[in-house]
Amino acid sequence: MEFPAALFPSYFGAGPPREDGGPAPVAGWGEHGQVLEGGPGRCQVQPAFVPRRGATGERWEAADAASVPVLLPSAGCWIPSPAPQDILYRSSLCRKLRAGKSGATLDFARQLGHFFVDHPEDAFGSLGRLLHKNFYLGNAKLKRPARNSTIRMTALVEDIDRLEARRGCPRQHLASRLRWFSHLCRDWLFEVPLGLLADCLHEELTQQWSSLLFDDSLTGGALAWLPPEDGGTPVGCLVHPGGQAMNHLYFQNVVLEELPHARGSPAQFELSGRIRQVAAARVDGQDFVGVRSDYHCGVWRVPGKTGAAPAPLQVIRTDVPASCLTVSPHLPGELSVCTQSGTVYLWSVETGLQQLRHDPQTMFFRDHSPWRWSDFTAHPRVLSCADRTGLQCLDARAPKKCHFDLFKVGEEAGCQQGERVVLPMYLGRAHPSQYLVTTQFSVYVLDERLPLVPVLKWAHMMKAPPLFAHLMPGKPGRTHKLLLGASRTQELLLLQYRDSFWDVSTGGSQSACQLAGTPQKLHNISGCLQHLPTQLPHRHHLLQQRLSAPAAGLAATLQEDGPHKSMLIFQLSEAGDVIIDEEEEEEDMGTPTPLEKAELLQEPCASPQPSPVVPSPAAALRYRRWLRALSRAWREPSRHTWLPSLSQRRLFTRRDLEGPAGPSSLQKQMRQRLRQTMQEGGRIQRWEPLALQPPPLPQTLELAGGPDPLSTRLTAAWAGDWEQWWEERTSFSVAQRQRALRERRRRQKRARGRRSLSASFTSSLTYQSELSELSDVGPSLLSPARPPILSQEGSPPAGSPPVRSPPPSPAPDEALLSSQSLRYRGIPKERRKTLRDYLSVWAEGPPEPPEPLGSQASQLCIPSSQSQLSSASQPRRKRPRMGF
Amino acid sequence: SSNEHKLNFKKSKEACLSYIQDALLQKQWKRAAEFLTCYVESLEKDYSREHIGPSEMIWRIGTEILWHHSQSSMKEFNCFMEQMKTLGVKRYLKVCLEHVFHLLCNGQIDEAYQNLSLAESWRFGEQTAIQDKEMKLIQAYRGLLDYCSWSKQKNILLEHGEDGFADLAVEQEMHGYFRKAAVNLKEIIKIPGVWDVFVKCYVDLLEFYGDHNEARQVLNEYAYNSKFPANPNAHVYLYQFLKRQGESKKSLISALKILHDIVPSHELMIDFNTMLQKSKKRKKRRLGLEVIFAALDYAGWKENAKAWSCLARQVKQIVISEKHLDWIKQEWNSRKDWWPAFHFSRYLAKRNWQENKSLSYEKALVAGILLGKDCKYFKYVSHQGCKAQLKRFRMLKKFVTRHNPVYLRISG
Repeated sequence: MEFPAALFPSYFGAGPPREDGGPAPVAGWGEHGQVLEGGPGRCQVQPAFVPRRGATGERWEAADAASVPVLLPSAGCWIPSPAPQDILYRSSLCRKLRAGKSGATLDFARQLGHFFVDHPEDAFGSLGRLLHKNFYLGNAKLKRPARNSTIRMTALVEDIDRLEARRGCPRQHLASRLRWFSHLCRDWLFEVPLGLLADCLHEELTQQWSSLLFDDSLTGGALAWLPPEDGGTPVGCLVHPGGQAMNHLYFQNVVLEELPHARGSPAQFELSGRIRQVAAARVDGQDFVGVRSDYHCGVWRVPGKTGAAPAPLQVIRTDVPASCLTVSPHLPGELSVCTQSGTVYLWSVETGLQQLRHDPQTMFFRDHSPWRWSDFTAHPRVLSCADRTGLQCLDARAPKKCHFDLFKVGEEAGCQQGERVVLPMYLGRAHPSQYLVTTQFSVYVLDERLPLVPVLKWAHMMKAPPLFAHLMPGKPGRTHKLLLGASRTQELLLLQYRDSFWDVSTGGSQSACQLAGTPQKLHNISGCLQHLPTQLPHRHHLLQQRLSAPAAGLAATLQEDGPHKSMLIFQLSEAGDVIIDEEEEEEDMGTPTPLEKAELLQEPCASPQPSPVVPSPAAALRYRRWLRALSRAWREPSRHTWLPSLSQRRLFTRRDLEGPAGPSSLQKQMRQRLRQTMQEGGRIQRWEPLALQPPPLPQTLELAGGPDPLSTRLTAAWAGDWEQWWEERTSFSVAQRQRALRERRRRQKRARGRRSLSASFTSSLTYQSELSELSDVGPSLLSPARPPILSQEGSPPAGSPPVRSPPPSPAPDEALLSSQSLRYRGIPKERRKTLRDYLSVWAEGPPEPPEPLGSQASQLCIPSSQSQLSSASQPRRKRPRMGF
Repeated sequence: SSNEHKLNFKKSKEACLSYIQDALLQKQWKRAAEFLTCYVESLEKDYSREHIGPSEMIWRIGTEILWHHSQSSMKEFNCFMEQMKTLGVKRYLKVCLEHVFHLLCNGQIDEAYQNLSLAESWRFGEQTAIQDKEMKLIQAYRGLLDYCSWSKQKNILLEHGEDGFADLAVEQEMHGYFRKAAVNLKEIIKIPGVWDVFVKCYVDLLEFYGDHNEARQVLNEYAYNSKFPANPNAHVYLYQFLKRQGESKKSLISALKILHDIVPSHELMIDFNTMLQKSKKRKKRRLGLEVIFAALDYAGWKENAKAWSCLARQVKQIVISEKHLDWIKQEWNSRKDWWPAFHFSRYLAKRNWQENKSLSYEKALVAGILLGKDCKYFKYVSHQGCKAQLKRFRMLKKFVTRHNPVYLRISG
């Protein structure tokens, strides 16, 4: 292709963009930009000029009232991705969204609350089990003795509700009970340390929010159209993702007739990740299809013959999510891959991966986005690589030495401040050396023979940045059509441009690139909602939600049938997680007006034919069919997955609800054993069957395969943050100690619970148990350091000092034999001693698992149950007096 | 309250704008025009501090509508533009320029010229940087139109000159145009930018009046000043100028060498190659081979029969003389892993044979030499050629078979 003999005039500056501004709603209208002498030439009487923008183009009209689904929806429901109102703090939602600021207030507290409610096991598992006795959920007032160790949660919940109602009230801090509770529990109640959990949640939230504002993982689009061979049957192949997780790849043959329709069942591949991008290129009559998911990229080959099965060729796995995959239009089986770590690879199916560049920094100025892109250029060994700041071209044979800048966000291209590259694309099918770059404000066409200076620039005025682009090259004399698609807003724009126009003055050589015709808006996916048959309101809502899901891909093809020319545009929606939402749209064209002379501009335009308002019968039929299949798909899953409404009748059989008719087998077994033992006059050493043994203690962090303390310490010292290590270490050991304590108490409690069974058949005995009360503090985890208040309210303390050092944690037997617990069970005072004696004979705790904790832990619990249990077979009369 | 009123006004303004936008994007010009008449109200309470204010919006939308509206006329358009010029001081020059562009595209050169002169004489306080640039452009375009008039006069004179009749007044007028054009054109091409049209015109003027040194200097500046973009046309103009001046081969080659360095795929590379091939110096012939190989690397040259014949000729020469086979070897080394798939696949053999026999002949020759007689491309083409009983293909087969050992030496 020849270089234009003269280019449109333009200034050229260097440096950062000077023009500030922002999205301008009408910036693309009413400007010719520049003019160039391109008419009959200077030898003639009158010079003629052509504009850079504003020349006439071809006229395309919609053939139908709206787009029509091509494929039927598949079974399986689609789960909408989070919407802004799910993440944002409610009251500020509208205001912030309208302002378009990313500084929106994320509703962090609500999300954290959701986590606690949805995953209580993960949030409070062990402590919840440990403490559930101390939390009372009923409405009744707590009785005196119970009040000592139990909190009435209902009151707390009421307080929380009140707080919610008083949101914004200046006196809301008066909820002292809540403050007291949270102050008390904040440090230990949570399974995962609260700070860590909050960090993770916050990170996730900001990420969700930023992907809601702009999700660049979809760049390029996940839809490809493999056109039929020239002169062959009009059957092309649509490559699209599907399935609930969008992880199935389909190759669906589509017949291009009046209303294109699917033929046969698709070839289907299940992949191990959500498909983000599908790219295709035709080389030597074969189509190569590249598929990108976050951590895997794969390439398929589709032979040229219609109906030939696609064959997977190769898959690569990346450690960092891949952000780009493009297929070479020059050489079979070559692709380029970029990852978010800033690495660009040339991937050849035959020779494997070749790293061309690795640079986590952006190229021209600092930008935080890890997004990278790469594409091919006119030279098969030269690849472009892009980040948000611009494009560079690298020679794959010497990537370090041979490179040049193709596009820079800066004064060179007349960019605005804050402008960023959104999607670069090689326009090789229209012109071998031209390149498209879209930003959130403008589209640029670049010629790699004249880098940095765009040969065409136009403000596209789209509300969301164009993530998808599709080129339909025009035959000589006709315009090239370029489709731009946005994801979130589903905008779809048709542009036409000429890479050259006939220039007589230079003897018929080529002249510069110009934009032709006006940009045109095409039907989007949500547009077909109004043409679907009327639905019940909730159905309508579901339908609306589904059809307005963000677009996920774009493909198109031109079709020529004699004088009748048409353009078929396929769109894929993200909601169309299920395939159907792939919409097909038929754009019919009026008579194309080939522009040649400027005078044509003056020609009165024919009155624009209003696009039909009612869909054609064929389209209406298609809508009905699609809807029927969709409602079937909606109904189906409800049979399998139950909605939260639970029926008791189905949860429990009648027999379950009737209660146990007789003793269970375990009970039977136990009774038998007991009877036998009593007959023999022996004793039961191990009461419970093996299955009831306590689970082994969770291993400590150090045992869990981490490096030993010395090496972590050395590593930390080497890295220079030894101090922090020490901090962690000390806090860790505190946590460790706490855990040991907790674990011990848990065991004690379990033991008590178990043995309390035996308390029901004890003989009467008296025992002066008052003294033991002091040790029966119970799990005083709420305030371990507090002196036992219980001693003051129980039976007379018998001269014990009112204040003393914290009591040693009670041994299980003590707990069991405490007068309090016995009294609870209604055992008269005089019989308690007998009972104690009896129990102490046989009672022996389950064998303790070996203590994995450090020596500090065992020091902490000096009168450990271990040491006492080892001597449990001896009479233990004296024990309650211990410590006096 | 007034605040609410303001908000509502803003809201309805935005809604109106979005309707207009929608109509424009669907080519409903009449609908857009109706909405625009409502939108004009927004001028009254223009509190916005946005990047593009309502007055600019009205200018842009109105222009677009008038371009396409079936009932608009040039007179209406001019009227609208005049109103728009008074709407904003900052935008005056820009609107003037756009107005001129539209007049030019519609062939109203004289009106355009008048508008340019008017705009040039416009003064308003201190000019911003952008206004300065716009003013320079206005002057340059006026220079361009002056040049057009000059060129017209020149043609008249030349025609009449042949008759032996010279009109002094016409000549005077022509020189006047020259002066006016030269002053303005000279100014703009000093500023970094792409000024192909202006440079061409200015050089043409200078050449006509015999000021070759100035012309050369302008072209050199345009091509080699590093503040200017790497515009291939700058080098092309210089080369064409040197050629017109009958400069030595050496300086032509050095001009093209620079063009080759910045754009190896430029169409002048064929001329360059021919020039180098003819050279007696080994080094230049070597460069010629490099140039043609490099050009054929590009996708745009894939089916360029002329380039393939250049390569075929030179390769054939080297093979026959058996000298400098190492040149081919070196060039081939960096290409042997991808040229076969890029140029010499069986699919391409078929297609080239169907579409362009002479292209496939040249390519087959190169393929036969570089890849041996067993290469797919050569085999297919020579087989088809022999089947079609074409003499040159039979010769080709013989030649390649005879020189097959060369292939081993190249690829070894």
